[in-house]
Amino acid sequence: MADPRVDAYADALFAVAAAEGNLTAVEDELFQFAQALGSNDDLRATLADGAVPAARRQQVVEDLLDGKASATTAALVSMVVAAGRAADLPAIVAAVVELGAASRNRAVATVRSAIDLSADQRSRLEAAIHTSTGREVEVKVVIDPSVLGGVVTEIGDDIIDGSVRRRLNQLRESFR
Amino acid sequence: MSQRRNRLAAAPLIAVLGLVAFAGPAGASGESVGGCMAEHLAEAVEENHGDLQETLHDEEVQKDLEKCFEAPNPILPETNEIIWGALSFGLLFFFMAKKGFPAVKGAMDARAERIASDLDAAEQAKIDARAVEADYQARLGDAKGEASRLIDEARGAADQLKADLSARAEADIADMRERAAADIESARQQAIADLRAEVAGIALGAAERVVQSSLDAEVQGRLIDAYIDEVAGSNG
Repeated sequence: MADPRVDAYADALFAVAAAEGNLTAVEDELFQFAQALGSNDDLRATLADGAVPAARRQQVVEDLLDGKASATTAALVSMVVAAGRAADLPAIVAAVVELGAASRNRAVATVRSAIDLSADQRSRLEAAIHTSTGREVEVKVVIDPSVLGGVVTEIGDDIIDGSVRRRLNQLRESFR
Repeated sequence: MSQRRNRLAAAPLIAVLGLVAFAGPAGASGESVGGCMAEHLAEAVEENHGDLQETLHDEEVQKDLEKCFEAPNPILPETNEIIWGALSFGLLFFFMAKKGFPAVKGAMDARAERIASDLDAAEQAKIDARAVEADYQARLGDAKGEASRLIDEARGAADQLKADLSARAEADIADMRERAAADIESARQQAIADLRAEVAGIALGAAERVVQSSLDAEVQGRLIDAYIDEVAGSNG
């Protein structure tokens, strides 16, 4: 069950990004920041620590995104962190991405891979998923070394696992 | 009672005193040898006019004196003894008939009555004792029967308890044995599974390291392309 506050923040961020006119870029930057936050425990703990002054946490965000993301993205992330919702930021960003894709009549396909996909691979994967499922999707790549090789695609509750990790797990199961 | 006993004792004493008082000496009227000789000799001297020598040599006198040495009749007592004896006997008989016999008879009757009473009491006591004995025997029999029944019940209960305990112990042993066998089998299966998992983990760890070392960018790209082709080739 969705958290109403997460949805509220997501609606706010989506509205600001749409109003600024760079929704797609802000979505990608927010998505990348959320991935970085999810994979870095120290950063997540620092930004979610209520004992750290809000100004200090905002400064950390600005230092991280300075020159790497748009001002809109930095401002939105800074706002969420200052509000003490850094722990909810991955869920908020996921909701924003869903809202953006929905505004373009598409679904979000979260692709986990050990390396980033090229633009050609992304477009071919979107086409392949459309061919396979009949759904228009936008691919969001998450770099996950635990996949080892290949790709794991998640579209809503559907998972298409073509990773080397899955094959190794299957091999492990066969030993039992 | 004491008075009757005194009268019984006095009767024979009076009889003895009567005999002593009235009995005369045997041969009191010249029956003794000396008296007899003296009497005959005095008569003979008187007949011979006082001549003792002549009297002593007189053959007739000597024969008379010799008669004094003849023994009296051994069966028939002297007349005076008969008289005194008869009187004494009659007196004693009369006294005994009047006093002694009724007293003795009363004492004997009382004694017989007492003995009869004692015998009756003894018989009654015997009957009572027999009744008590019969009752005791009956109670003893009942007690023995009750004791036997209790012993049988206790023995039956003990046997039942023994059987129950034995059955329970056997069931427990069987259950324990079964559980032990199941535990052993489970432990064996777990050990096999652990060993297999350990071996698989080692093998897969080695395989993962080999895969990781062999997955360069080119191979990763081919894997992604192959995945895209696979997704495109699948329908639903």
